[in-house]
Amino acid sequence: MGLEDLVPLPVILPLVGAGITLAAAGHTRVQRFTSLSVVTAVLAVSMALLWATDQRGPQVVHVGGWPPTEGIVLVADRLSALMLIVSSAVTLAVLRYSVGLGRSAFDEEHDGEAPLPIFHPTLLVLTAGVSTTFVSGDLFHLYVGFEMLLAASFVLLTLGGTQDRVRAGISYAYVSLLSSLVFLVAIALIYASAGTVNMAILAQRLDALPPGTSLALHAMLLLGFAIKAAVFPLSGWLPDSYPTAPAPVTAVFAGLLTKVGIYAMIRTQTLLFPDGRLNTLLLWAALLTMLVGILGAVAQDDIKRMLSFTLVSHIGYMLFGIAVGSEKGYSSAIFYVVHHIAIQTTLFLVAGLIERFGGSTSLSRLSGLATSAPLLGVLFFVPALNLAGIPPFSGFLGKVGLMQAGADLGTPLAYLLLAGSALTSLLTLYAVSRVWGRAFWRAPEEAMAGSGPGAVRASREHALTYGVVMPTTVLVVVGVGLTVVAGPLFHITDRAAADLLNRSTYVQSVLVNSTADGGAP
Amino acid sequence: MIALLVIHALAATAAPFLVRLLGRRAFWLLALPPAGAAGWALTQTGAVRDGHGPTESLRWVPSLGMNLTFTLDTLAWLMTLIVGGIGALILIYCSSYFERDAPGMGRFAGCLTGFAGAMLGLVTTDDLLVLYLFWEATTVLSYLLIGHKTTSRDSRSAATQALVVTTAGGLAMLIGIVIIGQSAGTYRISEVLAAPPTGTAVTAAVVLLLAGAISKSALVPFHFWLPGAMAAPTPVSAYLHAAAMVKAGIYLIARFAPAYSGLTEWKVTLLTLGGLTMLIGAWRALRQVDLKLLLAYGTVSQLGFISLVVGAGGHGAALAGLGLLLSHALFKSTLFLSVGAIDCRTGTRDLRRLNGLGRRMPWIAGAALLAGLSMAGLPLLMGFFAKEAAFGAFLLGPEYDAGPTGSAGADTLMLAVMVVGSILTFAYTARFLWGAFATAPRRELTEVFDAGPWLTAVPVLLGAGGLVVGLTATWIEPLLAPYADQWVAGDHPVHLGGWHGFNLALLLSVLTWACGAALFAARAPFESAQGRLPRTYSAEQVYRLAMRSLDRASVEVTGAVQRGSLPLSLALILIVFIVVPGSQLLWGGVTWPDQVRWWDNPAQPAVGLVVVAAAVAATRARRRLRAVFLLGVTGYGASMLFLLHGAPDLALTQILVETVSLVVFVLVLRRLSGKFPDDPPRAVRRWRALLGLGVGTVTAAMALTASAVRSTPPSASDLARSAVEFGGGSNIVNVILVDVRAWDTMGELSVVLVAATGVASLVFIGGDVHARGRQLIRASWERRGSYTDVGGAEGSGSRWLAEGGRLAPERRSTIFEVVTRLVFHTIVLWSLYLLFSGHNHPGGGFAAGLMCGLALAVRYLAGSRDELLAAAPVMPGLLMGAGLFLSAGVGLGAMLAGGGPLQSWIFDLHLPLLGHVHLVTSVFFDLGVYLVVIGLMLDILRSLGSRVDTQIEQQDAESVQVAGTHTESGEPAANSSPVREGPMGT
Repeated sequence: MGLEDLVPLPVILPLVGAGITLAAAGHTRVQRFTSLSVVTAVLAVSMALLWATDQRGPQVVHVGGWPPTEGIVLVADRLSALMLIVSSAVTLAVLRYSVGLGRSAFDEEHDGEAPLPIFHPTLLVLTAGVSTTFVSGDLFHLYVGFEMLLAASFVLLTLGGTQDRVRAGISYAYVSLLSSLVFLVAIALIYASAGTVNMAILAQRLDALPPGTSLALHAMLLLGFAIKAAVFPLSGWLPDSYPTAPAPVTAVFAGLLTKVGIYAMIRTQTLLFPDGRLNTLLLWAALLTMLVGILGAVAQDDIKRMLSFTLVSHIGYMLFGIAVGSEKGYSSAIFYVVHHIAIQTTLFLVAGLIERFGGSTSLSRLSGLATSAPLLGVLFFVPALNLAGIPPFSGFLGKVGLMQAGADLGTPLAYLLLAGSALTSLLTLYAVSRVWGRAFWRAPEEAMAGSGPGAVRASREHALTYGVVMPTTVLVVVGVGLTVVAGPLFHITDRAAADLLNRSTYVQSVLVNSTADGGAP
Repeated sequence: MIALLVIHALAATAAPFLVRLLGRRAFWLLALPPAGAAGWALTQTGAVRDGHGPTESLRWVPSLGMNLTFTLDTLAWLMTLIVGGIGALILIYCSSYFERDAPGMGRFAGCLTGFAGAMLGLVTTDDLLVLYLFWEATTVLSYLLIGHKTTSRDSRSAATQALVVTTAGGLAMLIGIVIIGQSAGTYRISEVLAAPPTGTAVTAAVVLLLAGAISKSALVPFHFWLPGAMAAPTPVSAYLHAAAMVKAGIYLIARFAPAYSGLTEWKVTLLTLGGLTMLIGAWRALRQVDLKLLLAYGTVSQLGFISLVVGAGGHGAALAGLGLLLSHALFKSTLFLSVGAIDCRTGTRDLRRLNGLGRRMPWIAGAALLAGLSMAGLPLLMGFFAKEAAFGAFLLGPEYDAGPTGSAGADTLMLAVMVVGSILTFAYTARFLWGAFATAPRRELTEVFDAGPWLTAVPVLLGAGGLVVGLTATWIEPLLAPYADQWVAGDHPVHLGGWHGFNLALLLSVLTWACGAALFAARAPFESAQGRLPRTYSAEQVYRLAMRSLDRASVEVTGAVQRGSLPLSLALILIVFIVVPGSQLLWGGVTWPDQVRWWDNPAQPAVGLVVVAAAVAATRARRRLRAVFLLGVTGYGASMLFLLHGAPDLALTQILVETVSLVVFVLVLRRLSGKFPDDPPRAVRRWRALLGLGVGTVTAAMALTASAVRSTPPSASDLARSAVEFGGGSNIVNVILVDVRAWDTMGELSVVLVAATGVASLVFIGGDVHARGRQLIRASWERRGSYTDVGGAEGSGSRWLAEGGRLAPERRSTIFEVVTRLVFHTIVLWSLYLLFSGHNHPGGGFAAGLMCGLALAVRYLAGSRDELLAAAPVMPGLLMGAGLFLSAGVGLGAMLAGGGPLQSWIFDLHLPLLGHVHLVTSVFFDLGVYLVVIGLMLDILRSLGSRVDTQIEQQDAESVQVAGTHTESGEPAANSSPVREGPMGT
């Protein structure tokens, strides 16, 4: 057993857990215990992996002992380990939240009790899928990870099978299948041209391809990821499908799914196609994603929908960092991914609390929450400012890093993006301050007058139980904590970005190790 | 300094609790941190004057060049005194200002204390990014403070307005900061100032920096937010909008003036906007009847004045600017607090309703008078000396240094602006004092209530402070001089305080007083003249217009790109697919193959044509069943192509998959209408066809170029050999599935599992599925014992099936039952054969599982749901869970056994009966696959089969009832199904 044996665990533990929880359907306690311990274990393993990759370099596993030319390689470098930590941490919080909701929670949404038994196995498969994408050193295996995500997310999205959810789920499934198809075709074509799907080997072979064809392949691969990451104009599906799901589901989706697309883009842009020929195109896409997304957020009346649009919009920030292509750009983009996973998940969980407490997430029906639920006020206000990039929160730090990277680039387009990111930040602040002004500050009488007899009075004190408030609070604190550890964290993302740009670390560790243990067992 | 900041933060956090504990007295405790800051600054006076003020530094985010560095120089020292001293006094004032149990006092106290800390950080930090941090902190806290009366709509919108305007400026400033920092290679302010970077980008950055300062200090065109922010409680106005926050912009200008006041862009911006602001603010102040608003416009005017002087640069202007800064902070906070006292004790701030307060509130009147005289620029007060110095700095002539702007015309123009502005200032000050305190003979005197002592004491203290500072101006000057010394002093430097003889500056002051007094005397005709001027667009209207257009634009843009229409989303994706890789194919210089080998075998194009034709026909089909069968043709065609390519295993799997899909489709179609509900118009269909054609062409062309550039043999070429040697099997496909890429298979198994459970959960809505399922299975097990007892002769006809007797006679088919009876066990055996031989021959867990599933499907079709239960009396979840557990467990087990994950071992064993057995451990993995696939099939049959049967039967029963009571028929079957039509139809 070596350190590299940790690498498959974030995938295999949730899968074993999924098997157990499915077989134990109906035994709620067994399910909860299994899921919580599995995800906690994954978090612990991920932390160990971060230490291992930071101290010893990338950890590589050749599954089944097959050489990288034939078999699947699992690779964890600093980037993977960091992503694993964040994703398992938010999954744990969401899981804890859903446990806190209890069995009756889904009743309130008129779902019946049916979905709960499959919630745990599905969420675990989702976790396994997310982990798979992060540790895969193989392009096709990355696709498998995406498939796991897709299938699990489709099931989670349609939990309860209400008309809205099924409709949203169908929308989501169509778009996701299309993106998978694009991705799959791209993989097939890359295999056709380079003869392998192992990313380390591809890194060597793709350089030798004629530039024209290589660019076309690059564009196609990127397109598949861009749909997943909800990059404008491929983002139309997201705000239509996310907000209808139950709060914990939306929270975990918002945190993880689009970031998986971003992760895949970071990986391909650095490892497979590092020439940066599409960067200008990506910069434009980043700008449009930010602006169109945030304009959408400003136009919304529903908190969950508003948050879905900010989710799209802030994908633009990460894309900005990727498109700049410098070490600072990648480092800040990774930092921003970490920040955004934590914050967006938090905000959706808070939206869930608002829904439980106020009976709605519609701004025209909510009012006076700051007085009736001061704790909820704090839980919303802090991550909302964080999202809007107000210092000293992590959103600000990430944004400054991105701006610095853009300023270093120094082209007119880069300056335009600087302006665009500032404007997006302002409009994000405007959007969340509207929520604050209406849902939290406005007097209940005003809301009554504004929306007629349909207004709901905030009165459900019992809705904010320890079980749901505690995980949300922990996530809020984690989000604030990112500020405190920003120095070391940026230090790690700097090194992760340096690893990415200097491909040889990755390639060497995959190929060199293969001769060491590539023999027959 | 860091310790002081931490104390502020702790005090702010503790404030709500302290207020709950001590009530209003908590403000006394909270006044301690700002007082401490001011006191600490006083102890550092000597060091700062001598140019070696303290510096502290703490690493934070070195990667961003962002560190908690603080330093105290003259400018910071002055600002700390203002912020800390006035802050402490205002917190004390609060203890009398608020009612005993005012709502939200805890939050207010926390925000105000936090604000004092943020200002302290802002003025002492030596790091640009940290400066921005505190800058935004003051913005957010002021948002919360202005919006203190949360239930008032005005107060909320004023808060939002202040937030949006100052954040917009702040973000512009952030861009400026980043550009300056990146150009300078450091974010230390002292280092940037020591070697200021230059260049076009930096010039733009400096202007952006000024945008932040201008918005914060409420200069034109952002001046409107400050009067709006008067919705805040008076202590907030006094502190944020007179003494502290609005000074942050001035501070920033003063901080960067030594480096950038030489830039034309800098000068033009600040002199123009500062001058305009001074005039517009004072002009508006003359029209106000609300004392607080009058002061607010007066503040706007004074801020314009100070920015003009500070921004002009030069030794004299710098000294004058600091003097103005100090005097303004003192007199304006005094005035605001006096208004607060008046408001508290009379209930109004309207100067038309106030009468005789001079006699009834003598102390307040005295304090306000002192402050007012300073504001009007009368001798012995700091306001006078600072204004004299400002005039002196801009005056030209033999007794004066050269003016700061470098052009005689501009200097004179600025001087004229300052004089006119001062005249207006004198007039509105007189208006303020007269309106608030004078006694009009024929009007009722205003009633005055009692209030806490500090409501009076604090303004008096501050007013007296203004007098003391004025009297000691000559001593203060050397303390401020180090800042001005960053510029070279000329031969005739200006001075603060003292008697300089009858000179031009004094003459101008006298002129100011005279004209101001005249203007005040002629206030009635002047006001009516002001009223007759045509009204122009105010900046506030522009702001509202901008926000409205933002809202409209957001709705329109979102409406255009986000219609919630799935076809639109898909079309956008496909268009991007055609445009982006497609344009590269057309113009990117891709490599095309020299020659194309169209087929290996003439059967291939024939099958291909059939597939294409079926696919096209499927898109045109109007009936669902037809579309399903055409889809089936494409699938079987694909398996035919696999076979022609020499891949029997793939072909077998594909055929099984197609068959299962057909069964599933047919089961589902029972609940759907026969035709597709949507019938898109011809144009839409044409577009779709075009899109499809485009996507197909791009994909095909991509495939051509991709295969044309292959230089390395594919990795699979060696696999045939290593599959046998290393994988221990001669069926390469199976070895790939269960060994080489078993990790993929494991992932896909979880996909299958999740999909199956997901489908089941959608179909079984309501009720506890698992309890019900278990109950049925238990019943089935119990009946199992009775089959043999009944014998073949029982019921209607012979028993070929276990539960055949439970089916209505008209739904039974003897032939089907006989065939089922004959083939079921054979198929199951065959599936086991496929499972175990799969490693070397076509087959494997997946195909075997499908085969077994088909056997179950046959049982179900022949004997309905009870028969299915009898055939497989287990929960599908158990099968799938066990299967996944087995597969993943094999992976984990291999690791525990010391190998890599999913590593396989080959054993050649000789067993009794079976003889030689070639066992590869990957067969256990395959067994997991087998179980999961059977579970999937069972789940599908149970949900889409049995469950839907039940629903249909219930519906039939209901519709019979409905038909019995009503003449009309019941609802269409599809509508009450939980699985509804997709949005494609709408």
